[in-house]
Amino acid sequence: MAHREYITLIHAEIDGELDAANRAELARHLLADPNARTLREDLRRLCTELDALPEVEPPAQLRRNILAALPQSTVKRPALSLSSPYWRLAAVLAAVVVAGAIVFETVKGPGPAAGNLSGTIAARTATIVDTVRLGDGPVSGRVSLLHERAQWAVEFDMVTGAPADVLIVSGAHRLRVNGIAGPDKVGGPPRRVTLPDFEVSQQPVELSFLVAGRQVASATLRQPADR
Amino acid sequence: MNEDDDRITVHRCREGDRAACEQLVVRYQRPVFNAALRLLRNPEDAKDVAQTTFLKAFGHLADYDPSFKFYSWIYRIAVNEALTLLGSRKSFEKISGEEADEAPGPERQVEGEQLRQAIEDALMEIKVEMRAVIVLRHLLHLSYKDMSDVLKLPEKTVKSRLYEARQLLRDRLLQRGTI
Repeated sequence: MAHREYITLIHAEIDGELDAANRAELARHLLADPNARTLREDLRRLCTELDALPEVEPPAQLRRNILAALPQSTVKRPALSLSSPYWRLAAVLAAVVVAGAIVFETVKGPGPAAGNLSGTIAARTATIVDTVRLGDGPVSGRVSLLHERAQWAVEFDMVTGAPADVLIVSGAHRLRVNGIAGPDKVGGPPRRVTLPDFEVSQQPVELSFLVAGRQVASATLRQPADR
Repeated sequence: MNEDDDRITVHRCREGDRAACEQLVVRYQRPVFNAALRLLRNPEDAKDVAQTTFLKAFGHLADYDPSFKFYSWIYRIAVNEALTLLGSRKSFEKISGEEADEAPGPERQVEGEQLRQAIEDALMEIKVEMRAVIVLRHLLHLSYKDMSDVLKLPEKTVKSRLYEARQLLRDRLLQRGTI
């Protein structure tokens, strides 16, 4: 294999882009060439360090400055006054709907109790495929892998003492979500993140939780083999 | 980032909902600021670029095509703004095309903070186009496809540029004896 080709394979391997045949080819080359092994080790270390470079909190005035400079056209439209024609039209429509409902109920009689409908209407449509509980470290709580209509998602129900980001990696796909959990989100609803284009059926989903740019916890979610 | 969330929020912001615009600022100010900071190194410049990026984005929301990812669009604006700023201050750049001496220095295998510092220094020594691919891949963790959307380059070019950028960084670190 030419020098340039195996360098390309090393980079592709680092990015999780190598297929089985090329991985075997690279492995053979690495066994035979100590320089290639050194290069691979250096590049892997470099990429690990690059991935872990700390992020800086933007200055507080950045947000204020941006919002202060927003043109007035993006300011929320004022509420319509009660005397406007829209309100009059809305009132007429509401009256028609209420009258229609009364007539319908009178003709049809009472329907089933709300509880009888809850199984079909309120059912959660996403299937939980895997769940991992995180311990009592800087990040605690639960993360779940969900599947819904051919789409994969991860649901985060977590508590952290500081704003936390998550890096989601599955095969060649990576997704970073900033502010996935934090002290200001305690008691809020679980956060769901869809995984566009992720091939979760073939690869596990690796989660790395970062606080101030440093990894503080990790978890692996996968589809069970029997699914 | 959650694309569905973005789509809804951008739509609301387009409709004039200031809270939705603020939500986009909160969601993206950190990656945009950090990307600018890695490209420029100067926090004041990074702040200016981040601010301009958002104002340009909000000013051109009508031009944004929702079939594309919002973050690719806003990162593209940020990278372009940073490149424009650097272009206007050519002397800021420390571009060197020379081949690196691969002989390992006496302090090979430097650990932790020192290595991180060396990487940050080396990043500023490579061409800004190279730095941009490193930032998009390793700081913003974008896929090749997203990088290609941001840079408006074919994926193949993005890959070869990324590989070259990593090689250059490794060469710089070898020169310093820090890897």
